[in-house]
Amino acid sequence: MSGQNGQNGQNMAYSEAPAGVAARLSGGRWTRAARRAPRSPVLERVAIAVAALMVVIAVVGPLLAPHDPYAVDLGSALRAPSAEHWFGTDANGRDILSRVLYGARVTLLATVVVIIAATLIGTLVGTVAALGGRVVDEVLMRICDIGLSLPAIILALGLAAALGQGLDSAVIALAATWWPGYARLVRTLVREVRDAEYVDAARMIGVTRARLVFRHILPNALDTLYVQTTLDVAAVMLVISGLSFVGVGAQVPSAEWGAMIAAAANNLTNGWWAVVFPGLAIMITAIAFNLVGDWLRVRNDPTIREGKAR
Amino acid sequence: MARFLLRRLVTSVVVLAGLAVVTFLMTQVLPGDPARAAAGRNATVEQVAAVRVRLGLDRPLWDQFLGYIGRLLHGDLGTSVFTQRPVTDDIAAVLPSSVELVLAAMSINIVVAVPLGVYAAYRRGRAADLAARVVAMLGAAVPVFWLGLMLQLVLSARLRLLPLTGQLAFGREVSEITGMTTVDALLGGDLPAFGDAVAHLVLPAVTLAASFIAVVARTVRSSMIGALDSGYITLARATGASEFRVVVRHGLRNALVPASTILGMQLGWMLGSTVLVESIFGRTGVGAYAVNAVLQNDLYAVIGTVLVIGVVFVVANIAVDLVQLWLNPRLRQTGGGSAPAGPGPVAGAEPVATVGGTP
Amino acid sequence: MKHAKAALDTPLLAIRDLRVSFPAPDGPVEVVHGVDLDVARREKVALVGESGSGKSVTARSVLRLDADARLSGRIELDGTDLLTLPPRRMRQVRGARVGLVFQDPLAALNPVMTIGWQIIQPLVIRGVSKRVARRRGVDLLSRLGVRDAERRFDDYPHEFSGGMRQRVVIAIAVIAEPELLIADEPTTALDVRVQAQVLALLRELADERGMSVLLITHDLGIVAGFADRVVVMRHGEAVETGPVDDIYARPRHPYTRALLAAVPRIGDDPARPLAVVDASGAPADGARRREDGR
Repeated sequence: MSGQNGQNGQNMAYSEAPAGVAARLSGGRWTRAARRAPRSPVLERVAIAVAALMVVIAVVGPLLAPHDPYAVDLGSALRAPSAEHWFGTDANGRDILSRVLYGARVTLLATVVVIIAATLIGTLVGTVAALGGRVVDEVLMRICDIGLSLPAIILALGLAAALGQGLDSAVIALAATWWPGYARLVRTLVREVRDAEYVDAARMIGVTRARLVFRHILPNALDTLYVQTTLDVAAVMLVISGLSFVGVGAQVPSAEWGAMIAAAANNLTNGWWAVVFPGLAIMITAIAFNLVGDWLRVRNDPTIREGKAR
Repeated sequence: MARFLLRRLVTSVVVLAGLAVVTFLMTQVLPGDPARAAAGRNATVEQVAAVRVRLGLDRPLWDQFLGYIGRLLHGDLGTSVFTQRPVTDDIAAVLPSSVELVLAAMSINIVVAVPLGVYAAYRRGRAADLAARVVAMLGAAVPVFWLGLMLQLVLSARLRLLPLTGQLAFGREVSEITGMTTVDALLGGDLPAFGDAVAHLVLPAVTLAASFIAVVARTVRSSMIGALDSGYITLARATGASEFRVVVRHGLRNALVPASTILGMQLGWMLGSTVLVESIFGRTGVGAYAVNAVLQNDLYAVIGTVLVIGVVFVVANIAVDLVQLWLNPRLRQTGGGSAPAGPGPVAGAEPVATVGGTP
Repeated sequence: MKHAKAALDTPLLAIRDLRVSFPAPDGPVEVVHGVDLDVARREKVALVGESGSGKSVTARSVLRLDADARLSGRIELDGTDLLTLPPRRMRQVRGARVGLVFQDPLAALNPVMTIGWQIIQPLVIRGVSKRVARRRGVDLLSRLGVRDAERRFDDYPHEFSGGMRQRVVIAIAVIAEPELLIADEPTTALDVRVQAQVLALLRELADERGMSVLLITHDLGIVAGFADRVVVMRHGEAVETGPVDDIYARPRHPYTRALLAAVPRIGDDPARPLAVVDASGAPADGARRREDGR
């Protein structure tokens, strides 16, 4: 089931990791991928297509936009959707469709940066904690606890206050709040693998520790990790647009979807299209990535019994 | 059991201490001169210097830190630049409204998500299960602030079913006792005002609840599936109990153990989400206060809110653990066996929804 | 639902041509192929076979506990065909006319409810007041050999030993005074000493209450001192049936002989390899030799 990450940033999949790891330890990575649990193939294909579409739009969107997303044209302010402006115009006369297309890049890029940063830091910290001995483990985990002791939004808000307003600050702040989740996840995964027999076998042959980590331990951890990152795309995106909405992230006149909604909120009743379409964009992207992440999760761990009928 | 509680308390204290450190570092990093901020906008250079000495801002870092901790323990969260009042007073004034909203949202969530999860587990694999999960997933993918706006648009502006913003109709007043409009109206015996306050609470509460229904429903579903597969369920059937009784009386109690963790965490998460919801609906509350503070670069107000919410979170987590002890008799015996190690991820309960305080 | 024929010669339980199949990815799989089985009143029947023989499935079919199983044939309890009963009637049968003792007491007991609560459920759902039900439950638990039953009534399953837990499961099965008790491998999860106690308890209970017992087991060693009749199952079919003494003295089917030969006896040469039952159902050489030697 998707939606494993609340938009307030809850990361849910942690203790599913051990089950997944146990399943993975019994066989090659790709053979297991072949043993799928029965799912709805149509839904999956649609989800993957949509997610891919969003990525494509993020990359080439600006080329597709029919109008300049930043051009102010007060004469055509708040026009309903029409042939010329498929999604209508906002209070400044800007074409919504173009802004949504541009916004894809802004939003998704910010999201991806957050996730990559959080994953890298988290993996590093988690691996060190799992392999570095009791004391190191305790200290690092307590630090993670602190990070996890607040809802992401609040912590990100606080950090963004320190860093100043703007999308850059929001990205940094959010990455700083997100990595503890990954650290915990990676730590669990690495610990499971660390104690596995084939690691002992490798060590007995004389494999060095670094090689052990990179060639044996991490690749097994990566399977679960990329499931989590996919699911996180939706969650992070929702937080980023949330931060932009309240004014802490992307600033007007940015085409970031959250900022668009904020700008349009004042004219909700006589310009609903300016609010609806960016919101739909967020929602559809989030759903697509959630479904894809869900599909990846089930593919990875065939021991998850989902469809058994009563 | 005592050992378990002790361990949790210790961890909580560590986390709070860490939070204090982090917020202290934030005070050092935040832009703006706290002395000037505290002295006021029109202070002279000498006055600012005097304030600097008074606040101990010229002392070495570790000394300042101790002073900071001291003030925290006294409940002194500094002064807000924006309101020129102690932050503690500010937050105390706005917190009840947020609590009211969160409690209303949690109630809606429980009433909707628990039966949804139970039903989806009972009809696992069938169409009803899929439908329930789809609905829940939609709730989780919708941006909460957007949902609020959409509900306002449709239910308030277009259909005129519910009020648009605010906590009471314009012109209506309720004497402030607890700070929660609905409770105050009840206490004051003013039933029409109570109804009005509730009407104003509906849209924001539903908005807030929507995104969490997915989480709770999924947790309940997973743990119910686990419970329903157990031997004792078959035994209950073998004694002739009705399906309803089997599922609800025999099964749900077990499923509640991991689900209660999530339900407890909701309190903190929802409080965080008030940031996104309150301003849309024109409600005063911690969330709106925090946003305003950030936009105004109101240093102590921001930090104060972060600390308060952090404390609420930690307390909620401990409360959850106590509830777990009550629900799960096995935990009472051991030293906390599979209990979580921190206020964050709940590792032991069940292979589902563990959550960090939420990254 | 009792019919007028209370004559003692009609069997209490009459299973005729029972077929049970389960859904599987490649189509339904039949695991019981037309089994006939009778249990008379006050009779104790042992249903024996190895794992996978279908004995458990057969027994559980009486209570229709497997929701995805497809059943055909007849299962008559005192004249009433259980397979055609609507769900509500079936629920009335469960617990009050047929009781089931589960194999693994740890899995069969709800960990978050007191054992007392679980014991009185079969009565409570039938309208008995909690106080009366508790009284009966405590008495029953005491009768089953649990000391200090009154106090232990409010304890949780994890506070009991394996043998005690099994007694709780038995109490749950018999408290509503069923006419037939089905015991599904009731001793498998227990150690040998406790096994003997539990079996003795079951025997006493059955005799006291005039209850019939259908004992499912793979262990021929415990059948001899307990059952009146034996039904041997293999691969979903009943291959032999008869009074217990006959079965032990003059087993007719090769499989039965193999099963009997496989039971280790005190006084056996420790170096003797255990007999195996080969694919055809006949004992391998070593066993045959041994039997002749006796």
